[in-house]
Parts: sequence; C-alpha cells; structure tokens
Amino acid sequence: MEWDWGIVGRTFDLLLLGTRLTLVLFFFSSLLGTVLGLVLALMRMSRFRLARWSSLFYIWVFRGIPVLVILFFAFFVVGRRMGLTSVQAGSLGLGFSAAAYIAEIIRAGIMSVDPGQSEASEALAMTKRHYMRRVILPQSIRVIIPTYMSNSILVLKVTSVAVAIGIVELTGITRQLSNSTTRPIELFTAAAVLYVFLTTVIVVVQEVLERRFALKT
Amino acid sequence: MNALVQVTGLRKSFGDNEVLKGVDFEVERGEVVAIIGPSGSGKTTILRCINLLERPTGGRVEVDGRVVCEELGDGTMRFAERGDVREIREQVGMVFQRFNLFPHMTALDNITEAPKSVRGMSKEDANARARELLDSVGLGHKADAYPLQLSGGQQQRVAIARALAMEPALMLFDEVTSAVDPELAGEILMVMKRLAQQGMTMLVVTHEMSFAADVADRVLFIDHGVIVEQGQARDVLTAPQNPRTRAFLHAVLDRAPMAEDDESTAGAGEEAGFGGSDLFSERVATDPEAGPDDG
Amino acid sequence: MDWDVVWESVPLIWKGAGATVSMFAWALVIGTAGALALALMRLSAAKPLQWFAIGFGWLFRGIPLLILLFFAFFALPELGILLSPFLAAILGFSLWTAAYQAEVIRSGIIAVDPGQSEASEALGMTKAHYMRRIIFPQGLRIMVPPFTGNAITLLKQTSLATLVTVPEMALLTQRIFSNNFKFVEPIFVLGMIYLAMTSVLLIVSVAVERAVSLKV
Repeated sequence: MEWDWGIVGRTFDLLLLGTRLTLVLFFFSSLLGTVLGLVLALMRMSRFRLARWSSLFYIWVFRGIPVLVILFFAFFVVGRRMGLTSVQAGSLGLGFSAAAYIAEIIRAGIMSVDPGQSEASEALAMTKRHYMRRVILPQSIRVIIPTYMSNSILVLKVTSVAVAIGIVELTGITRQLSNSTTRPIELFTAAAVLYVFLTTVIVVVQEVLERRFALKT
Repeated sequence: MNALVQVTGLRKSFGDNEVLKGVDFEVERGEVVAIIGPSGSGKTTILRCINLLERPTGGRVEVDGRVVCEELGDGTMRFAERGDVREIREQVGMVFQRFNLFPHMTALDNITEAPKSVRGMSKEDANARARELLDSVGLGHKADAYPLQLSGGQQQRVAIARALAMEPALMLFDEVTSAVDPELAGEILMVMKRLAQQGMTMLVVTHEMSFAADVADRVLFIDHGVIVEQGQARDVLTAPQNPRTRAFLHAVLDRAPMAEDDESTAGAGEEAGFGGSDLFSERVATDPEAGPDDG
Repeated sequence: MDWDVVWESVPLIWKGAGATVSMFAWALVIGTAGALALALMRLSAAKPLQWFAIGFGWLFRGIPLLILLFFAFFALPELGILLSPFLAAILGFSLWTAAYQAEVIRSGIIAVDPGQSEASEALGMTKAHYMRRIIFPQGLRIMVPPFTGNAITLLKQTSLATLVTVPEMALLTQRIFSNNFKFVEPIFVLGMIYLAMTSVLLIVSVAVERAVSLKV
C-alpha cells in the first residue's frame, strides 16, 4: 500500500479542533477533580465518622467502576435530566472520576508529612485548621506534585473515552476522519503524536513545579 | 502557692503495653527537674502527657492550677476542653528530640507563626521579639535561613526560641541533644543552662548526666513506667539508693557512680561551656541505650 | 428507578461477562510476560535492548489506550493484518499491560537495597542466581500493590472494547439503551457488576500482599 502523509496536513485544522476539545475536557475535569478530591481527602481524615465513611464509600465506588460507565451515567442520566451538553456531561463524569484518585493522592501527601510537624504545631497551641493550612498542606505539596502530575497524564488520556458519549475530541475526530478518508494509519499516528506532545508538556510542567517547590537547603 | 505541675497516679497504655504505671511528682515554679532512665522507660511519654500530645489512660495532671486531665470515679478520663487545651499549651513550651522545625519556613517565620496566629501578635512585634530570641540563642544572623540550611545544633536552638516566643511558664525538653552530633550538643545545653539561671521552670528528659548534675534541682529516675528514685540531683546521681538506679548509672557512665571519682573525671570534661561542672563532666555519647526514640 | 427493568437487565448484561473476563485474563497473562521481558531488557547491559524497552514504555504509556484499540481495529487491516474485534482488543490491552507492568517490575527491582546485591556478590553468588533468589523475592513485595492496581485498571478498561464492537458487558448495555430506551437501570446493573468484580480483585490483592509481606 502507499502512504499518504499529506492527509495529516489536509485535515490538520480538524485535528486541532479535536485537540482543543480534549483540552477543554482535561481542564474542566482536572478542576472539578482537584477541588472535589481535596474535599474528599480532608473528609477522609476528619474527626467525624460519617465524613470519613462517605469519603471512603465515594472513593470505593468511583474507583471500582469503569470511566465509561461513569460517563454513561453522566450523559444518559444526569445530562438528560439537567439538560447538559455532551461536553458538560463529559467534564462532569471525568471530573467525578478523577476526584476519587486525586483524593487518595492528596491524602497520601498529607500523611507523608512527618507527624512531628503537627505535634510541634499542637504544642504551640495552634488550631488544627490553622496548622493544616500553614504547616501541613504546604509541605505535602512537594510530595503531591509528582503523583498528581502523573495522574494528570492519565486524566488527559482518559478524556479519549468521551467518544463513547459522542464527543468529537481528538480521538473522536480521528476516528471519523479515518472512516471517511480510509487513511487510519496516518491519522491515528498523527493523533498519537499529538497526545504524546501533550503528555510531554505535562512532564515539563511537573519538572518546573518540582523545582519551584523544592525545600531550600 | 501550688506547684506549677502536679502529676498524680499518671498511667498510659498503648494497646496492651502499659508504659506508665502510676507516676506522681510535682514541679515547683522556677525549678529544673531532670527525668533520667533507660530507653523505653516512659520518660518521653510523661512529657507528652503534660501537654496532651498523648492522652493519659489514668491519673491526673494539673498545670498552673488548670486540670489537663483527671480520672473520674468510674475510671473514665475527663480531658480539658479543646479551647482549654490550647490555653494550657500556650503556657507549656515543648522542644522535641528531632526539632520538628517547619522546613518550608525561615527560622524567623518558624518563631513568629504561633505568636501571630495564636496570640494575635502583630507582625512587627512578633518579628522584633523573634529577633531578640534568635540573638539570645546566638543565631541572630540566621533569621532568614531555612531549617535544612542549619546544623542540628542550630536547628534545636531555633526550636527553643520558637517555644520561648509563646512566653510559656513551663518548658518541656525531650532528649533535645540526642539527634545532634555530640560536638554540637554543648551549644544547646548552654542555652538551656542560661534559661535555667533566668528562673525558667523546666522539665528535662535527658541522657546528659553532666547536665542533670550541673543544672537540675531534682532528678527523677524512671524505669519500667514507675519512678524508682527521686531527690536532689547530687544525691540521686552520686549516691543512688536503689540498685536499679545504681545499675543504670553504672551502665551510662561506664563506671560506678561514686563521688570519689570526681577528681579523675573533672578533667575529662570536654564540653563547650561546661568547664565549671565538677561532676560527671563526661558526656554519654557512647550510651548504647540512648537510642533516637524513647518509645 | 424501575426494579423490574433492573432484574430484566441483569441476565442480558451478564451474558457479556465471559468476554470481559477472558479479555482481562488473556491480556494480563500476555502483558505480564511481555512486561517481565521488557523489565529485564531495561536492566540489561545491552544498550539496544535498553532503548527498545524505554521506547516501548514511552510510546504505549504516552498514548491513550483507546487509540491503541482503534489502531489495532481500524489501521492494522490496512497493513493486511485482519484481526477479529476480540483479538484486536486483546492485542491493545496486552500492549498496555506490558508497558505499565514493566515499569512496576523494574521499579520493584531497583527499590531493593543495593546492599543486598553487594552482599550476594561478596558471598560469590552469580548475578543470575542472586537476582532470582535474593533480589526478585524482595522486589516482589514492592511490586504487588501497584501490580494489582494496574490489574484492576485493566479489568475496568476492558469496557472500552465496546468501541471496537466486542460483545462484552458495556456493549450489551448499550444494546438495551437502543432497544428499550432504558438508561438508569442498565447503567446501574453494569456499574454494580464491575464494582463487584473490582472489589473481588481488591480483596485478592490484599490477601496476596499479606502473603508476600515480610515476617516481623
């Protein structure tokens, strides 16, 4: 067979449009996932049993069910009832899913801070709210960044599952183009290159953040 | 007037392991009390029960007339309310074995954080006071250094300044020289000695027998969760009555704890600033029991 | 939610469980074998083998699994390789598993205290011997949690095979969408079946972790 890499150039505008939608899904699901994940992590370490259990239950359910099923629920059930667009429903589903993983990452980061730090804060009569914010969370950031960023790479790749609810993000547009042009090899290779480019950007951002938050020695 | 600290029948268990089996003692205002004893004897736990970093399982603790915890008639424990615990902790400064400085803050910020947030001190006042304290521990030039840029001895002196910034009535010292290189312990002990001379009430868990002899008014010897012997520092250290005390002192000093040895050991004192010590000038750096953690 | 519809959906969806489980099992076996080979290549002294393993991991962990599946399903036929949907899915899942588990195995091995191999060398053991008898058993303990974590992820990801028309549980669920116009109930059933399956794997993984943990 003959290669026709020119097809990539001719469809590049459309591929970029798909990439833009991928980034939209990535941004909103990261935002929702991080905020909700922080809340879940703090609930998980709360004094109140009900808060701990609800957080644990949420994490168990959302980590135990495939993203595809969560997206089905977000789109066919929540989205229909609330009249959401597919992108809104998709961001919601992906964000709720990401929150379960991010919660565990944040919790692990907080737990990794030397218990001597909270003891010293307590001995200085600080309130828990105060020293969590000023002493524990700033130190846990350093531990959270690497795992959070590698999780972000997963979050980015998982946005591709949104094709299942009809969102034409990068994977979706590539599938459509490959059907209509019968050039799947060239087009999927191009999509793969775009994804690798985006994940590489995340890795670079991670490097920068790690350096920025390193302890002064 | 009552003693500043009153501990009666203090018990603490971790699961099935009873670490403190009924401990009674008092600390008067202005007094320096040293707690000595083998690793795992419960020394550290006593300190941690006083500011409720550990919750005692029995007995009663009172600080400055306030009840920290007490055992009720039915054997259950009643602890001070959260707000009261914080007020008690404002009165009680603690210095830890492993410093526990906040590594993401400068020395100055480490010291000012609690006065600003707990006592509502203005930033200017807190900074001014912190600089005075840093000067007083000989670290005026290190205000902007981060903890990991400081030596162990310097970190511990910042930690002492941090505790003093809350203007506590009582200072707890938990084996504060155990995690630093032996040659840096002297600078920490100097600061503590000066603090004692200024009249600070101090409860000091230590392996430094020379410090106990030199600075402490009284010594408690703890073994297996009970006070085996207590009394004037010199009496306990030079003429222990209990065989367990004698065995312990023998082991850590690597010789019999007898006053006749004074002459021969006084010359061996190598510690910075402790030339004046006539007893036990020898440091206990080789103590095999002086592990980093006292259970 | 209509419980009658729930009960009707269960057998319809459960018919796909066989395909789900067999895709999972095949990909886990093939992928783990590949992962072991990749990890050893990565740790070998031969540069080309190292580069191959690094490139493999970089490529297959860098792109979404769905792209792999679509490539196997839509693009391979263009190269004259015609796979059934089921085989295309297993190929994609196996490549994914190999790439991720290779990293787990490698980091488990390098996490073992270097003093262990030094002590083994000092005792005159060969590298092949102490890797097998000293290093690998200790690395295993470190590998188990992330390995089972990836396995659970794999199980969930087999649901993506619906997009390359493998008649597994998610595809049969979608069939109920279009035939009966019911959504909540079949999604609920599908979710519960997956939750049950992943929970079983979770329990197994805890048991395995206990079994390989150090006796203290």
